[in-house]
Amino acid sequence: MNAEVQRVTLNLPATADYVDIVRLNLYGVASKMGFSYEDIEDMKVAVSEACNNSVLYAYSHEGGMVEVVFEVDGETLSITVKDEGASFENMNPAVSRAGLHDKELTEAQIGGLGFYLMQALMDDVSVESETGKGTKVVLVKRLARSEEKV
Amino acid sequence: MNTNKNEKFNARTETQDGVCTVYLTGELDLSVAPDFRLVMEPLVDNKEQDLVINMKELKYIDSTGIGILLSVLKARHGMEARFEVQEVPAQIQKLFDMTGIAKFFVTQKNSQ
Repeated sequence: MNAEVQRVTLNLPATADYVDIVRLNLYGVASKMGFSYEDIEDMKVAVSEACNNSVLYAYSHEGGMVEVVFEVDGETLSITVKDEGASFENMNPAVSRAGLHDKELTEAQIGGLGFYLMQALMDDVSVESETGKGTKVVLVKRLARSEEKV
Repeated sequence: MNTNKNEKFNARTETQDGVCTVYLTGELDLSVAPDFRLVMEPLVDNKEQDLVINMKELKYIDSTGIGILLSVLKARHGMEARFEVQEVPAQIQKLFDMTGIAKFFVTQKNSQ
């Protein structure tokens, strides 16, 4: 690809009220790239889960900001969700990777489902979390080749 | 003009013949989870009524919303009271399947 990486950056208060703004922007960027309706819906869920984590765990009482960067690189969309709060403990992959599939209703727990969904819905997910320095989640989705578009 | 309104979350309750149906519209996410919990609390505790959630107009749900559904499932199961979901859109059903919560639901297909 000869095109340069293009970036759209959002800085939002880390509150639940702004997560829908991230979804709206994602919709704009992803539909411009030619992603299918289903892929966009999948990415909406994944990005919202990443933002939810920042809203819920990063800044326990004092307000903070979340930075969301959409990077368009040819047919690849990378979305980075970054906060500077406390890192969240739900990131233990062993715990998070399980869904409710092997569970009885009485023992089913919702913790970690957000991370599980991110992994299931995106092509790549990486999480960097450092105590006191915040958390950075990178979500990657590639355009499916089978569409009529080039 | 009213696109914003279309996405706004709402839960409307209808009771008929011992069945309480909650019609959800818009986006059920972290920001409206407390509202949804408030609507559901008294309904969940009412053992005399069957409880149904209709999702036909629900546009979006996140893990917070799924978490609330799980707690409703648990509570109703514990009381041996009926609870089901109706008219689940494909995209939301996909999330139910993916997370594994689907197997706990008694789903009622659109039977018309």
